[in-house]
Formats: sequence, structure tokens, C-alpha cells
Amino acid sequence: MSSVRDLTDSRLGGLPSDLLEQLVKAATKASTAPQAIAALAELDPSEAVAWLLVNEQLARALCPAGELGKLVDTVVRASLGDSNGARVSNLAQLASRYADIVGADTVAALAVELPYEKPGAGVKETLARVLERQPGHAGLLRAAVDRALRGHDSAEAHRLLTELGRADDSQATLHYIWRRRGSLQPSGGPPVRVAFMSSFTVDPLAHYLDLECRGLGLEPEIYVTPFNSWAQEIIGEDSGLRRFDPEVAFLSVAIDDLITETSGSPAQAQLDEAGATAVGRILAAASQFSDWSDGVLVVHGFHSAFADPYGILGGRAGKSRSAWLADLDAELAEGLSRFPRAFLLNMAEIFARRPGGSYDNPKMRHMASMRLCGPVVGEVARAYTRYIAPAKGLTRKCVVLDLDNTLWGGIVGEDGPHGIRLGGTSPGSEYQEFQRFLLSLTERGFLLAINSKNNPEDALEVVRSHEAMVLREDVFSAMRINWLPKPENMKSLAEELNIGIDSLIFIDDNPNERAIMRQALPQVLVPEMPNDPSLYRSTVEALPQLQKLTVTEEDRTRTQLYRAKRQRDQTRLGAGSLDEYLESLEIAVSIGQVDEASLARVHQLFQRTNQFNLTTRRYTAGELGAVARDPTCRLYALKARDRFGDHGLVATALVRTENGTWIVDSFLMSCRVIGYGVETALLATLSEDARAAGAKELIGEYIETAKNAPARDFYPRHGFTELGAQGQATRWQRSLADELTVPPKWIRLEVS
Amino acid sequence: MAPEQIIGRIFGVNPGKIDDTTSNTTLEEWDSMGHVNLIMELESTYGVSLSPDDALQMTNVATIKRILQSRGASW
Repeated sequence: MSSVRDLTDSRLGGLPSDLLEQLVKAATKASTAPQAIAALAELDPSEAVAWLLVNEQLARALCPAGELGKLVDTVVRASLGDSNGARVSNLAQLASRYADIVGADTVAALAVELPYEKPGAGVKETLARVLERQPGHAGLLRAAVDRALRGHDSAEAHRLLTELGRADDSQATLHYIWRRRGSLQPSGGPPVRVAFMSSFTVDPLAHYLDLECRGLGLEPEIYVTPFNSWAQEIIGEDSGLRRFDPEVAFLSVAIDDLITETSGSPAQAQLDEAGATAVGRILAAASQFSDWSDGVLVVHGFHSAFADPYGILGGRAGKSRSAWLADLDAELAEGLSRFPRAFLLNMAEIFARRPGGSYDNPKMRHMASMRLCGPVVGEVARAYTRYIAPAKGLTRKCVVLDLDNTLWGGIVGEDGPHGIRLGGTSPGSEYQEFQRFLLSLTERGFLLAINSKNNPEDALEVVRSHEAMVLREDVFSAMRINWLPKPENMKSLAEELNIGIDSLIFIDDNPNERAIMRQALPQVLVPEMPNDPSLYRSTVEALPQLQKLTVTEEDRTRTQLYRAKRQRDQTRLGAGSLDEYLESLEIAVSIGQVDEASLARVHQLFQRTNQFNLTTRRYTAGELGAVARDPTCRLYALKARDRFGDHGLVATALVRTENGTWIVDSFLMSCRVIGYGVETALLATLSEDARAAGAKELIGEYIETAKNAPARDFYPRHGFTELGAQGQATRWQRSLADELTVPPKWIRLEVS
Repeated sequence: MAPEQIIGRIFGVNPGKIDDTTSNTTLEEWDSMGHVNLIMELESTYGVSLSPDDALQMTNVATIKRILQSRGASW
């Protein structure tokens, strides 16, 4: 029998139909199948397509999968380029049949060629199947986006565009994604209004930020001030910026734009004077912005495209260029700290982390006024989200940690408490570094908890006694060390801590545990963790959901508060009746009006309280400040403590008075103190004040949400009668002529 | 990769619909930011350096090809 090679060589001699017949025959023999199919693909792609469609089982049996995949690729490629090739719908069918082995590039090329209108070709499904095998293949994603766009499937297109941005974050691709989104319906996430005010081209940054915001589940609305008019836009009474009313605004003014002499070698005195003027201009802009906006303002630190003109002599005669810039930044930081919602973005820190090359591309600086270029743009956009997430209330409350290979290296159950990797040298120092960062989170008010599959004795021995352990038992607000499924533990942790499941972050080195958690509890934030433990710290540090715009006294002591709660709960188990237990707590509350010092914490309660919140109106800091100053309003703050510790400021109420009637617009209390009767004490004080002011009745409003069931019976429980609906709210009324609400007998009221 | 392919990818249009006459006036997606991205992409794909004058002229496919070829690029 002649070999396949002989057969293909013989085509020069003619008899193509005979040759094809012989090749088809050779394709059905195990020894010659791969070569025969390859030869078919080369000589007559459409014949090869037909053969592969009819003989799928045979082909799979005779050819190794990898080889067959390449053959399918060759056939499809050859047919696409050949006008006499197999009809594209046949090719689509072929790709669909062999979707488990066909190459991603091939499918992408095919999808572009195939008319969208062709029904039943199954291209969408093939794309999805190949994408599952090769997630993040930019070509496939583009093809899938294209089909979603042509099918007017906005939701799918948004999802795919976000994935494409992750797969290929080049400036050109992000620009493409941005333009495409413009023609889509909104994604349906909560909107966020972001403004860019800049002395240089920030379009690439805006495109990148759009992607990052969508990664957080937000639907960004972006405003970029017209070129080089940032100052006018901030000052102007009727500017586009002001009408846009940003929630977060980024001010990036290049020092080289403010002081053109930086490209030369001006005298030190001249530089110092120009520097002072530059800082003054930025601070004046920040001040004006803060006058009319409640939004968060983020100001770029200064950076220059120019190195010290004296080269290695810089700093020998007077200040070096970098020392001068650092001084300006310090002045800027100090000036901005006067505004509670203004922040300095540390550009030096970002540049230190930037991947790949310089942030200055001289050609683009000249051609397109771009002062930030290349991969650093993505780094800046990610830094931006660290302000946007807390401004939009996306900050989580508790970091729940796995133990083995997350807090230490190795498995304590197998390696023993002394065999695990944890200590001052590697391997082991990576975990200690990570633990130190986690500990710092508790100083900003985040809780730590454990959710781990271990024998409790083994794990606790490490936590309690291992000399290199940074996180000891008392920093964990709750622990689940057992063999239950982790999602079950997660639910009971949320219950014990009295916080929502959507307040939790789950850190686990095991991809299976992460996948199970995402599947079972999608509300939990489950970041992808790197395999390399030396990257744990930077990975978790980068989460925008671990940023806060303010840190209050309550934040700094929250871990202690929860520890005290645990002690309380233990007391409760020992106490007799509930009243006896509450009596034994020696609860004392003080109630007063909100002042400058307590405004930040009250704002935080308004932002974050979900459960015991009667109307869930999310007022901004500015709005609450205005209410506090408004003589027709009262803004109450309640602080509580008991014998186990101080709860801090845990409840607030906003009352509006209208023609002598007191209307309770908002009434909310931290879930930490639910069940102590603190809310009754606040209502009692409020009722007395109302009567003293001459009010005849108290009106309360209630707006039901998915989360505020604990507050539902508040008004009926306190003798209010329902008046009916007023807009979204249900109104309740109680006369002040009769006996007033009194505080529970176990609560002592202190004068504040 | 041919310039048509790059242009198609950057502006999100089917490369088959791009010919020598395609320009920033015939293609709606070809805006000023896109032009900057195109120049950077051409530089990195073909390993050539394009001057500001080149960038100003490269507003249609025929000119793009001519300038690229004059710098020794091929595809």
C-alpha cells in the first residue's frame, strides 16, 4: 500500500478525484489517519470539513486530541481563506462539534467571518464553550462582544467588555471598550458620578477607571472638564462640572503645566516662589470645590517629567528637584487636611509600584498632552477606586480568614504546630508580613474572624502559643474552626457578629474553597489569591473595599467592642431571666445634639446602618452638617456603655419640625446594641424634648427595605398608630398629651 | 499583522471593510484619542518610530501604508 506521502506527492500527476478517494480511505486507518486528514485539509478543505463532520467518532478514536484539534484549526483556517472553501455555516458546525479541542484563535476568526444573521449555527454557544476552556482570550472575547452587540444584548455585552478589559488592558482596547459601552443600555449597577479635572489629557485614565468601577459593580458616569479649564470649571457658578455635581472628583494638575520653567534650570529662589504659588492655586481650588460640593476630592501629588537639570550634582547646590517636589507635596498634604473630604493621592507610591517602564512618554506628552502613559494609568485608576468604593458605601466590615497556607505555611494537622512555616525568615516570613497587615486593619475598625477546616485543638495551639504568630485569639471577633462546609460557617459568623453576609471578605488560599463560597454565597467578596504567599499582603492591601474615608474613635476600638460583646453573651448564658441579664450589664446612655466632633461618626452610621434603620435615608456629610446647623431640625446622638466596655456613639435620630409638629425623618441604631432597649431611651428623650418645645404630637416615618426587618415594629411597639402612606414612607403618630415613652428601667440616663 | 487588521482592532470594525481609502473622515470611530492609540500601536507592532509630522499625515490607510513601508516595515 502506498503511504500518504506518496499519495499527496502523486497529485502532481493529476487524478485528483482518485487521490481524494484514497486519502479518505487512508483516513479511516489508525496508522495513517492523522496524516491523511492533514493532507485532505491541505488539498481540499471543504472535503476535509465534510469528512470530519461525518466521521467525528472515527476521527476522535484515531487521532490524539491535541493533534485533531490542530487539524480542525488547519481545515477551518484554510477554508476561511479560500473562496471555494466549505460554506461558513459548515465551518461553524464543525467548530461547534469539536468545540472541546478547536483553537481559540480559529473560533475567533470564524466568528468574525460568519454573518450574524445565520441562525442555528451555534456560534454563540461555541464561543462560550471555548471561552470556558480559555477564559481571558482577547480575540474570542472581542468576537463574543461583537455578537452580543449585534444581538442587542446589553447585559451580556457589558459583562464581556469587562472581561475583555481584564484580558487586554492596552490603551487602545480600553478606548474601544469605552466607545462600545456608549451605545449600550446602562448595566443596572448603582451609579457613581466621577469628575476628572486636569491640566493634561486624562481620557485613557477615564477609560480605565470606567472598567475598574464596573469591576466594583458600579455604573460610572464620567465628566472630564474641557481641556485646560479645570480652574474655571471649579470656580464658575454655572460650569459643566458644577451642574454635573460629582460624588468623587480627581484633580490632576501637572507641576510642569503650572511652572513651565521646570524644563529649564531656574534659580532656587525662583523655583521656591513658583512652587508656593502652585500649591496656593491647588489649595484655593480645593477650598472653592469644598464650598459647593459634598463630594470627595482627590488631588494628585506633584510629579515632573524632568530630571534634575544638574544631573548627578543635583542637591549639591541647594535643593534637588526631587526634594523640592517632596516639600511641595508635604505643603499640599497639610493644606488639604483642613478639608474633611479632600485627600492627597501619593503619586510617588504609585510610581514605585508601577509595572513596566516610565510614566512619561515624551512623544505622547508633546503630541497629545499626555503626562501619564502606559501601564501606570491602570495603577492610577485602581488607586482612584480606593476613594470611590468607600464614597459609595462598598466598604466591607469583616475579613474572614482561612488558616493553613493562608495565615501560615503548611498544614498544622499534618506538619504539627512546630512544623508549620511561620517566622522571621523565609519560608514563613511571608505569612508574618501578611499577619502584620491584617492586624493593622483592626486599627481602622475592621473585624477579623476565622473560618477554617482544622481540628480546633491543633489550630488553637498555634494561635495561642506559636512564638511567631502575630494574630492572637483576642484579635479575632469570632472563630469557626471545624469540619463544616465553609459557607455554613460564614452564615453563622455573620449571625454571631450581627452583620450582613455582604459585609464579609473571605480569604482562602484554596481555589476550590473560594469557588464553593462564591457559588453558595455570592454576596461574600472572595478575592482571587495568588499562589505565592509573598504576594498575599499586596493583594489584600489593594482591595478598595478595605478603604475608609474617615476613621472614628469607634473604628479604632471596634475589636475590643466585639470582644466585650462576647463576654456579655457568655454572661447571658449564666444569667437567669432576660431582665436580670440586662440589669447586670449596668447600661448607661448619654444623649445629646450632634456637634462638630461627632458628625463624622453620625455620618458613618447614616452610611452603614442597614438593619435597625427606620427610613435608610443616606444623607451626605454636607447634608448632615446643614441639618445640624438648621434651627428647625434636631440631630440626636446617643452614646452607650456598660460594665464590659464602651459602645461609643451607636444611635442617631433626625427630627424635622413643621409648624410645631415633630417629624422623625430618620432613626437608626448600630446592630451591636440591638436588644438592649437603647432605642426606647432615645425615643423617650426625643418625646420629652418635643413636648417641652410645645409639640402636640410626634410623627414617625418608616420605609421598609430588604434588610431593616429588626426595625419594623418600632413604632407600633411604642404605642404609635398608623396614619397611612406618605410617598415611600408609612407614617405613624403618637400624641404627646398622654403619658410619654419612658426609658427601660435597666438603663441609666446620663446628662451630656 | 497588516495595518488593516490593527486599524480594525483599534476601532472595533471588521478588517474586511477597511481598504486604502478608509480615513478618519470615513470612519466614525477614528477620533483623536483613537488616532493617538493607533500611532502607538503601529510603532510597537512594526518596531518603527513615527514623527509628529508622520502622525499628522497618517489619517488614511494608503498614507499609513506608504509611510510604514518607507520606514522598512512589512506585513
